[in-house]
Amino acid sequence: MSLVEDLRKTVIASYEVDAETASTQSFDFPLMPLGTAYDMGRDANGIPLFDPRIFDSREFQRNPYPYYRILRDHYPVYHDKLHNCYFVTRYNDIAECYFDGLGYNTIPKGSSNHVLGNTQLELSGIEHSRRRNLYGRHLVGAALTKRIGAICKLANEMIDEWFNPASGMTEYDPATGKYTMELGKAFANEFPIRVVCQVLGFPDEARDKFYYWYKYMMGGIGGRDYEQKGLMARQDLEDFVESIVEERRLKPNFLLDDEGNEVAPDIISELCKTIVDGDVLSTEEITSNIALIVGGGGETTRGAILNMWYLLLQHPDQMEAVLNNDPLWDAAFHETLRHSSSIGGQPRQNTFDVELQGVKVPAGSLMHMVDFSANHDERIFADPEKFDIFRNDLYSEKILRSGYKKDGRTNHMAFGVGPHLCPGAWISHQEGSIGSSIMSKRIKNVRIATERMAKDIDGVSLAPIGLGAINELWLEFEAM
Amino acid sequence: MSSDYGSPTVEHEASAGDDEAGYRSYEVYQRERVGSPPPVKPGQLRTQDYLDDPYTLLANLRHYGPAFRDWQGNAFWITHYNDVTSVLVDSANFATRSKRWFYGLASFGRDLRSNVPFLTAQAAGIDKHASTVAHELVQAFASRGSADLATEFAAVFPLQLLGRAWGIPDADLPVFAERYLRMQRGFRWNTANQEAGKQAMLQLVQYFTPLLAARRADPQDDVLSALAALEIDGPAIDAHDVVATLLEGDHETLHGALANMWFLLLTHPEQLDMVNNTRRLVKYAYLETLRHSTPVLSGERFAKREVERFGLLIPEGALVICSAAGANRDETIFANADQFIVGRKDLVQREPRGQYRADGLPAGITPALGTPSKFPALPVGRPRSLYAITRDVATIASHALLDATSNLKMAPGAQPVLKSRGYGELHTCWHLPVTFTSK
Repeated sequence: MSLVEDLRKTVIASYEVDAETASTQSFDFPLMPLGTAYDMGRDANGIPLFDPRIFDSREFQRNPYPYYRILRDHYPVYHDKLHNCYFVTRYNDIAECYFDGLGYNTIPKGSSNHVLGNTQLELSGIEHSRRRNLYGRHLVGAALTKRIGAICKLANEMIDEWFNPASGMTEYDPATGKYTMELGKAFANEFPIRVVCQVLGFPDEARDKFYYWYKYMMGGIGGRDYEQKGLMARQDLEDFVESIVEERRLKPNFLLDDEGNEVAPDIISELCKTIVDGDVLSTEEITSNIALIVGGGGETTRGAILNMWYLLLQHPDQMEAVLNNDPLWDAAFHETLRHSSSIGGQPRQNTFDVELQGVKVPAGSLMHMVDFSANHDERIFADPEKFDIFRNDLYSEKILRSGYKKDGRTNHMAFGVGPHLCPGAWISHQEGSIGSSIMSKRIKNVRIATERMAKDIDGVSLAPIGLGAINELWLEFEAM
Repeated sequence: MSSDYGSPTVEHEASAGDDEAGYRSYEVYQRERVGSPPPVKPGQLRTQDYLDDPYTLLANLRHYGPAFRDWQGNAFWITHYNDVTSVLVDSANFATRSKRWFYGLASFGRDLRSNVPFLTAQAAGIDKHASTVAHELVQAFASRGSADLATEFAAVFPLQLLGRAWGIPDADLPVFAERYLRMQRGFRWNTANQEAGKQAMLQLVQYFTPLLAARRADPQDDVLSALAALEIDGPAIDAHDVVATLLEGDHETLHGALANMWFLLLTHPEQLDMVNNTRRLVKYAYLETLRHSTPVLSGERFAKREVERFGLLIPEGALVICSAAGANRDETIFANADQFIVGRKDLVQREPRGQYRADGLPAGITPALGTPSKFPALPVGRPRSLYAITRDVATIASHALLDATSNLKMAPGAQPVLKSRGYGELHTCWHLPVTFTSK
C-alpha cells in the first residue's frame, strides 16, 4: 500500500506546484526600479526565462524596456503561447519584415477593421499602394509645404488663447506673473485635430463632432468596451462625410491664404475629382480613407508633442540648446520618437512558413513587430535608454519610405518603414516641430509643475513615460 | 507565389495571388463591421473568470453568434455543437499541432500511437490491469471510512494503470509519475513549466533507455515490449520515440472524468442512489459527465488555409478554439443542457462511429479522446477506440468504489467546486472529501 501512498503524494505535489502562480490573473508582477527587470527565472543554461503574463501587467506598462532587452538578447523571435502570437524585437528583423510586404502581410490585423472600416491598413501589395497613394500624396512634399503657413496660423491662434483669461486655458498668478496650464488641454490635444480638420476641409462647426468621432473610434479600435460606441461614431462620421462629399463633388473647397487667394483644394475635394482607371472614387472609398485620417491624425501627434516637452524639460541643457537653435527641434522631435513613441508597433501575418532567428513560424501566425524595442536596440542605437538629441547614430532629416542606414546613422522606427510607412509622418513632423517652435517663442522660463504631475512608485520622481504617451503635462511659464 | 517575393522595396510588382489574399467580399466586410458587440472581452477568456466558471462566459458567446473573434490572440471561439463537430472532423481545412511542436521540439522522437501493435498492446494492458488497480486503490482507503476521491482515487488511478500497462516497475512509479506529469503540463504557455518539462523529457529518455533494451532482450506482456518489438520505417525504436508517444497521449481525461463524475453524483444524491441501485447506469453517468462537465474544455485547431466560415473570414494559421464546454451545453441540441441527467434520452448511449451523431442522437464532445473512430465499434484486427477503452475503465473503477462502500456521501462541510488551475489545464474537481461505511 505504500506505493499508492507515494504515488498519491507525488501526484498532489505535482498538481499543487505553483498552483497560485500558474493562473493567468492572480499573479501580479512587482513594480521594479526603472531599467531593472523582475527575475522570471533561468533555464538550465542560465538564460533568463520570459513569462508572457508580463505583457498584461502594470509593471510592463511603466517599465517595458528591460523586458524588451531580454527578448532582444535571448528570444529575438519570441513565441508567446499564452497570447498565441510571436514578438519580433530586433531592429534589423523588423525592418526586414516591414519591407517584405508580401511575406509579412497586414491582412488580418483585426484591431481596426470593425471601427475604421475597409482601409488600406489591412491591404497589401498593389491594392494597398493604390488606395494609399490616392490621399497620401496630399500630405507630403509641395502639397504639404503649401499648407505650412496655415498650420503656423492655427498654432498662433491657439497660443493667443493662453493669454486670454476668459478662455480658461491657463491659470494666471499676478503676484509672480506666472501662468500654469496643462499642455494637453491647452494645445496638444486639439492642435493636431484642428490641422486635420483643415486639411480635410471640414467646416469649423464639425470640430466638436470631430472629438466625438475621434474619441470613440480610437476607443473602439481596442476592440473591448467601446467597440459598439466606436461603430456608432464611425457611422456618424460616415453620414457626415457623405453629405460633404456630395457637396464637394459639385463645388470644390479651397484653403485660402490671408489675401483670400486659393492655396490648395482640401483632401476631400481632391479625392472627389480623382480618377482611377477611368473611374471616380465611390463615396464609401472616400469615407473609409477619411476615417483612417481622423483616427491616425490625433493621438500620435499629441503624444509626440507632450513626450517631447516632458523629456526636454527634464534635460535642461538640451532644452537650452533647442531654444537657442531653432533647427534642433527636428532632432528633438526624432529623438523623442525614438526614445518614447506613441505607437508600439504593428502586427503582421506571415504569408509563408518562415524561419526567423532560428524560430520556425507557421504561415498565418500573428507576428508583432515591436517598434518600441527596435528603437531601443543597442545594436543600432548606443545607450538606447538615454535621451540625447545630439546622438550621432540617429538619422533625423527627411523621412524616407526606404528608411535610412548610412554612415552610422539610422532612422528610428516610430513611423515604420517600407510600404506601410506612416503616411502622416511628414505632416506630424511639421506639426510637432513647428508647433513647438512657435510655442517656445511665446513663452519663457518654462518648467514642469512637478506638484501636479503623476509620480513614480517612490512618490517623488516624475512618472516614467513607459508605453505610449503621458496623460497630462502641467507647465509653469511666463509670457515672452 | 511569384518570383518577386524577396524584392522588398518594390510593392507595385505584387503578384495576382497577393491581391486575392487581400480581397474581402462586401458581405463579409459588412458582417464583420456591423452587429451587436461581443459580450465578453478578448482577454477575459484568459482570466480567472473563465478558469472558475467557463459556462457563463460560453453561454454568452453562444447566444452572441456562431463565432467570436479574439483578435488579440488571432483566435476564433466556436461554441455551437454543430459548428464544433464540423470543425473537428474537417481535417482538410483545420490541423492540430503536436505537443512537441508547442515545446519547440517538433522533431523529438516519433509519435507511435497510430501503429496497430501499439494500440493492441495498450488496449490489452489496460484491460488486463484495470480491475486489479482499481481494487488495490479502493482497498487503500476502504477501511478508513473517509477519503478524498479527487486525490486518492481519480488522480492516482490513471497513472497507476498507465504504469502497469506500460510495464513500468511499481517501485519506479512515483519517480516516473513526477517526470511524466512535469512533461505533460509543460507544453503550454508557462515558460518556467516548459523548461521543467523539457528537463523531464530528457530524464524520461534516460530512464527508458535501459528499460527498453531490457524489454527488447526479454519481452514481457506490456506496452513497452510491444514498442520494443515494433518495426516501422526508419531507425529502430528508441527511448525518444517512447517519450514522444507518452507525451502525445495523456491520462488527463480519465482523471478529470472520474473526478467530475463523482463530483456530479455526490452533488446530485438522488442520481447517485439511482446509479447505485441500477449499476448499468454507471456507464451513462460517465457519458453524461463528459457532456455536462467535460474536463478538457476545448480542442484547438489551426486553419490550414483561409476559410470563410461562421460568417467570418478565418485567415490561414488562425487558431480555432472548438469549445466542447460550450457545445455540450448547446440548448438547441440537448434539452435542459445545464442539468446533469443520468440516462438522458437525447444523448447517444453508445460509441458514435465516424460521426458525432449516431442513430440521430448527438454525443458529448470530448476533445482529448480524439474525433470519433472512423472504424466500426467492433473492428476486425483492431482494438476498441480509446474513447471506448476510457469509458470502460472509468466504469470498472467506479464499480470497484461502489462495491467496497455503502452510504457514500460528501464529507460534512465540504464545498467542492470544479475549476481549472491554469489556462488550458484540466477543468475538474481537485478536492472531493467523502465519508462512507466500509462493506
